[in-house]
Amino acid sequence: MAKKLRWRVLLIVVVVAGAVSGYVAMGFAHARKEWTGPGGPGLRDALRSGIKLGLDLRGGIHLVLQVKTSDALKAERDDAVELLKAETKDLNLGAVELPTDSSFTIAVTEKTDQSKLEEAIKRFLPDWNFSTAGGKWTFALKEVARRQIEDNAVAQAVETIRNRVDEFGVAEPLIARQGADRILVQLPGIDDPRRVKDLIKNTAFLELSLVEGGPSTQAALLASKGGKVPDDMKLIEGKADPGSRERNFYLVRKQAVITGRDLKNARPTQGQFGAHSVTFFLTASGSQKFGAATGANIGRHLAIVLDNRVQSAPNIKDRITEQGVIEGSFSPEEANDLALVLRAGALPAGLTYLEERTVGPSLGLDSIRKGVTASIVGALLVFVAVVLYYRHAGWNAVLALTLNAILLMATMSLFEATLTLPGIAGFILTIGMAVDSNVLIFERIREELRNGRAPKAAIENGFGKAWSTIIDTHATIIISALFLLQFGTGPVKGFAVTLIIGLLISMFTAVFVSHTLFELVYGRRQHIDSISI
Amino acid sequence: MEFFRQTNIDFLKYKWRAIFASWALILVGLFAIFVQKGLKFGIDFAGGTQITLRFAERPDIDRLRKMLDGTDLGETGIQRYEEAEKNEVLIRVQQQKKEGRDVAGEVLKALRAGLQSPTDPGKIDINTEGKATLAARIAAADPDHVAGRSDVNPGEYYGQVAERTIALRSKLGIFHAPADANGVAEASAAVKAWLQANTYAGPFVLLSAENVGPQVGADLQKKALLAVVFSTLGMLAYIAFRFRSVPFGVGAIVALVHDTLITVGLLALFGREFNLVVVAALLTLVGYSVNDTVVVYDRVRENQKTPKKEPLETVINRSINQTLSRTILTSGATMLVVIALYFLGGEVLNTFALTLIIGIVVGTYSSIYVAAAIVVIWKDFKNRRKLAVVPAPPPAAAAPVASAKKNSKRR
Repeated sequence: MAKKLRWRVLLIVVVVAGAVSGYVAMGFAHARKEWTGPGGPGLRDALRSGIKLGLDLRGGIHLVLQVKTSDALKAERDDAVELLKAETKDLNLGAVELPTDSSFTIAVTEKTDQSKLEEAIKRFLPDWNFSTAGGKWTFALKEVARRQIEDNAVAQAVETIRNRVDEFGVAEPLIARQGADRILVQLPGIDDPRRVKDLIKNTAFLELSLVEGGPSTQAALLASKGGKVPDDMKLIEGKADPGSRERNFYLVRKQAVITGRDLKNARPTQGQFGAHSVTFFLTASGSQKFGAATGANIGRHLAIVLDNRVQSAPNIKDRITEQGVIEGSFSPEEANDLALVLRAGALPAGLTYLEERTVGPSLGLDSIRKGVTASIVGALLVFVAVVLYYRHAGWNAVLALTLNAILLMATMSLFEATLTLPGIAGFILTIGMAVDSNVLIFERIREELRNGRAPKAAIENGFGKAWSTIIDTHATIIISALFLLQFGTGPVKGFAVTLIIGLLISMFTAVFVSHTLFELVYGRRQHIDSISI
Repeated sequence: MEFFRQTNIDFLKYKWRAIFASWALILVGLFAIFVQKGLKFGIDFAGGTQITLRFAERPDIDRLRKMLDGTDLGETGIQRYEEAEKNEVLIRVQQQKKEGRDVAGEVLKALRAGLQSPTDPGKIDINTEGKATLAARIAAADPDHVAGRSDVNPGEYYGQVAERTIALRSKLGIFHAPADANGVAEASAAVKAWLQANTYAGPFVLLSAENVGPQVGADLQKKALLAVVFSTLGMLAYIAFRFRSVPFGVGAIVALVHDTLITVGLLALFGREFNLVVVAALLTLVGYSVNDTVVVYDRVRENQKTPKKEPLETVINRSINQTLSRTILTSGATMLVVIALYFLGGEVLNTFALTLIIGIVVGTYSSIYVAAAIVVIWKDFKNRRKLAVVPAPPPAAAAPVASAKKNSKRR
């Protein structure tokens, strides 16, 4: 018996020592990662950062975005139309219509050689189904291709957002795909939601195209081209002057000279009068294209189009090869962020914010303070009550509860589980449940004593009989918490994690540790008159 | 110390009165939900926007309301939040038809336009800008002239200054003037002078902003419902498995529905908001209530194993009496913790705690008067029907006696 007891004590000591050292080690690892000051983190910093805090406690933003996959489909459709037109110039095709995002129709004329058209379609548009009716050919994107394009768009958007967030410098960001077209972004510690949101959402689609007319009003530009925008041009709005309400438009070539894909690098710069601008640098192939186009068009204007808006349209004074400047009335942050998104690449499709939760740094601080105070006060109240009611055995319960709290913190730290505000509530509830186990046992021991059993037998019977009830109570709640974990979201999840870990530990501390303590105190004595319970 | 020493209260004598009381409470709750105010859904489920701000001075709510009326955001609500002396305000905006609108941004813009006297456009708001912006602005000005030095990285150097400045802001709650930033020990005199000249203290600090669009709101509703349904089913499956008895299972279900109905009804009566955190609390109280019920049932099962032939009502009454001390003590201990949470846990945990306070009281009561009473009523009803058909002594007690004998031998 005594030997067995020694092993049990040793096991408890090892578990607790392991937990405490594990917690401290994790704490040091976390603290070092975030340390910005001189020297290194001390033990106090390590103890403070052992557990990963959720956004609600530490501040930061939580975003759920939807990728407008229709943008990617439209781009694919437009490419297909352009390709088909270019490859069948001699076939005298008629008007194009665009009924949906992933289909188009082309009218054929009497002069069209339909077998040649079919051949061209098979060769150049393998991803499209087509059918003909009444002189109209209808093209629909194949289901497999459509799904592939949507999937790629979301995957690429995740990648682009990750690049941008990394460049902005966020510690431990979470960027994950959610379902078919959603992306979850969690950025702890970010205290400037507006800027980061703009940064993420900016499609950053850059095009440099030759100007064919403007800046002018929409009507004047249309009039100059006979009332209709020519096929190879498009009408784009210019960035309005601050203070002026007039909208100005440009007619630019559809075929861009270079796009964002030709960029090698971009960085914020400051112009002559301290104005903030962005300088970009081109890849080798981009330089070639740019050099040829600018060399051939000296004296004309070149529109710098960002997200379908003309930023500026400077005059081409000379042949330019390697770099260019985007000017506009940027603030320093805007210039910096624009350079950043240009470096990180364009988004394949637009994004919509479906859900957005921002917690400022001071609220998180408040919440921690309150949560911790409530936990400590609550635990102390329980300690006092238990000691008053059960005297010496009460101290046993206090020790078991304290160990429970320590082990819970250590387990959360080792599994890198996140502590949230509802998690603190789960923590507090665990204390309640753990007390319940002790109460069940102690009440059973008292009952056995009342029924006239000897103290040692009463302890054994008390633990034995309470055990099945403890299993039942813990199992029911753990089962329900597991479902919460599976189906719950956000706060519900955080709550469930703490509760499950806490309850598993409570079975160990309330039964195994408590029992061992009883045996330590009473087990070695030959004869016991009474138990202080 | 001992509160209850071998009590022998005839709890089940009052079962019909208790059932009446339960119905009364449920009806009050249903009245509050369906007739009076309705269940107030928080933005998690109803969608919409919720913003909390801390102002430097006591804000004039009516004035703020007028500023928001000037926007096209639809219905908005403003109220003081938490402790009034902290000048905190909670703003709600109804859900927008269009997905993805930056409601929080529009609200802040409207308030800023209304509250702020025009400032030099080159200056930044030290109360709303983040550390990245602040660091970049100071680094661009480089008041400490570290740009040329090889031993200092200007980005890191000013980044730390900015971080400490924001940390001080969090600690103080809000900067009343840029001069408040003089408390940053790490900042040099030159940096402080730069802050004085190039920043201003805006009227408020953003504590939190939440925006839930229609799609996500519907999603969260669905998921919360699934979580509740499945976790309840999971617990019931466990009870059915452990006690292998229909009336016990039904008793537990009815007790659980009873507790949930009363708690939700009372929350509606108190005008509390129904959100994800409350769902978590409800599930906890369901777990808690089942826990209580299981303790009583466990005892009933144990007492049924004794060879003595007794009416079920007596066995259950004795079991309740035997577990009474534990029930009260556990409820009391948990209640202490939850009360601490209620008074000290802050706004978010307050409703959580209230839900549990109601839940613990109702749950403790229901494991006696609902879960146990239903088992008795069920058995009574069945026995009476049996007696009416075949007037013979109930042989039901025979089987448990045999198994109980085996058990007692093993011990």
